[in-house]
Order: sequence, then C-alpha cells, then structure tokens
Amino acid sequence: MVETALSASVFSVFFFCDSLTNSTDSKLILSRGKKMQTSEDGNQSSNEIAGADQNILNLLDYMDNYLILVDSVSSSVRQGWLELASARYSMGASRVNSSLFDLKSHYASTTLQVDNGGTDTELPCFTLCKWTSSDEAKLEEDQLLKNKSDSLGSEKRKAEESGSPVTANNHAEKERFKSLSMFGTLVSPKLRATQSTFETTLETLVEMSNLRASLLCAYDQVQKDRETD
Amino acid sequence: MANKPQIRTNSSAIMAMIADEDTITGFLLAGVGNVDLRRKTNYLIVDSKTTVKQIEEAFKEFTSREDIAIVLISQYVANMIRFLVDSYNKPIPAILEIPSKDHPYDPAHDSVLSRVKYLFSAESVAGDRR
Repeated sequence: MVETALSASVFSVFFFCDSLTNSTDSKLILSRGKKMQTSEDGNQSSNEIAGADQNILNLLDYMDNYLILVDSVSSSVRQGWLELASARYSMGASRVNSSLFDLKSHYASTTLQVDNGGTDTELPCFTLCKWTSSDEAKLEEDQLLKNKSDSLGSEKRKAEESGSPVTANNHAEKERFKSLSMFGTLVSPKLRATQSTFETTLETLVEMSNLRASLLCAYDQVQKDRETD
Repeated sequence: MANKPQIRTNSSAIMAMIADEDTITGFLLAGVGNVDLRRKTNYLIVDSKTTVKQIEEAFKEFTSREDIAIVLISQYVANMIRFLVDSYNKPIPAILEIPSKDHPYDPAHDSVLSRVKYLFSAESVAGDRR
C-alpha cells in the first residue's frame, strides 16, 4: 500500500511537471517568439531559445533521476527496517536499541570526500569512502579541533593521508565488526544484513547528493533565463 | 551565491542524521556514527519526546559545521521545521529528505522539488508575463 502510494505520487509529480513543461515550453517559446520578430540578429535569438530549452530539459531530467533515486532509497531503507526488526526479534529488544550506542569519542568509519573541482564550476562532488581507517581519521579530527580552538577564522585543513598498507578487505571487515560490536559479540545474521543494506543505501544517498547539486545548478540556470526574458 | 561559501576542495567530511531510532541505528551500523572530543554526536534521534526546538537547534548546528557534508533528515521531521529547511540554500552540506517507517516520502513536500514545482507553476509564469 505504501509502495502504491509512493509510485502514484512519483507518477503524479512527473506527469504534473511533464504537462506543465509542455505548456510552459510553449509559453516560453511564444514569449520569446515575439522578441525574435523585433530582434535584428535572428540567429542569436534562436540560439538563446535553444539554450534555454536545453536548460529546462536538463532540469526535468535531473528531477526525474532524483525521484528514481529517492524511490530506490525508500525501498532499501524499508528492507533495512524489516531486517532490523527481525534482528531485534531474534536478539531481543534490550540488545538492539539506542541505549547501546557508542558514546565514547570516535570518528566515523564511513566518510565523504567533497571535491569542489575548481573555482569555475560551483558543483560540489561527493564521494563515499567506506570503512576508512578510524585511527587516521581520528588524528585528523583532533587536529581539526585543535586548529579550531587556536583560530576560529582558520580555513586551511590538511588531510594528510599516511598509513601503513593494510589489506582493504580485512580492514573493512574489522571496521564492520567494530560497528556491530556495540550490540554484542555474537549478533544475528539479520543484523549483518541490516548493515549491508544500509551500506547500499549510503551509496544511493551520495548519488542523490551529487544529483541534487546538478539539479540546483540547472534550477539556477532556468531562473536566470527567465529573468533575462 | 553565498558570500562565504563553505565549499571545500578535496576534504574529508562526515554525514549527519536527524531521524527516528531505527533509521539512525541502521546508518550507525554502516559506520557513519561520529562522536567528537566534546561528546557531541553527528545524529539526533527524534522520538515523541523530542521538541521542535531541539530539532531546530540540531539542524542549525549540523548545517553550520564545516566537517558535515550531508545532512539526512526524515521528511516528517523536516516538515516540523519546514521554514528552516526551505530557507536553506547552500550547496554544502546537502540536505536530503528521506522517508520514515510511518511516513512515506512525498515529493510535493521535498524542499528542492517544491522549488522546481513553483518554477513551473501557472501563477509564476503568468506573473512574469504581466
């Protein structure tokens, strides 16, 4: 029932925007058409129209892809919740709850790499780094806090990545075990499945973040085009 | 855009979450949990006792921290602070609205999609033509 409601809402938004786009496109083309008659350089105006229409199409494409990714996230978190409920059922509610969360100082094992890509482009690029070394990351965080306390206006942070070579798989397994260990040493296979499902969800969420950046950029472009009309 | 962009180049960052217990549990299992030296976490568990003010403060804190690149927020929680979420327009951290167990995702309420919807609404187009 939830899936039907979600699919219906996704379809209705897309259909709504699709129908509005057709009417909006024609309105935009009509309004620009009047300008073409008075413009001395017809070629330049037609190029502008083509560019503006392309921006609208890009915006709608990004929005469509965004909705698809949201749908994917919804499915995977739903699966994660079911697996977590199964784990809680088999292990007991006292063994799987928020009171067992690790509140000691520790750095995230799964982090994000943010890449601006340069001054010309304003689109940030997010990359997921799963199960990185928590020791190196902790060192970086301590340095960050120290820099912050020394100077509030500090902008520079160096991410020094040094490290002894560790087999990636072994390291990832260690970090996974560490995450699971807050619920005990022997955990239900369903809890491991929950972990795996939410890892997949994270990947989709990072894709969504990148798409969101593109969508907002396309949105700004379309707004600029409207303002210049 | 912003006068002082928080955009960084090639820097490491973490994710923040404002959601219900099960969602937070799942993401903590995936390794995104972070507790700093001041015992501040990168998540807020929202339950029946959580006040709107607490959610607002958590949202403001997460969006002002330089080490947070993505803020995940359940859509029903975002609806409680909709004015705050909709007025946020910086590229980083990215605000992603996700569904919760009892509240399925509604694209009409998403802050990014609602902006696009407004752009194509009949009123905004008619207003521009006048």
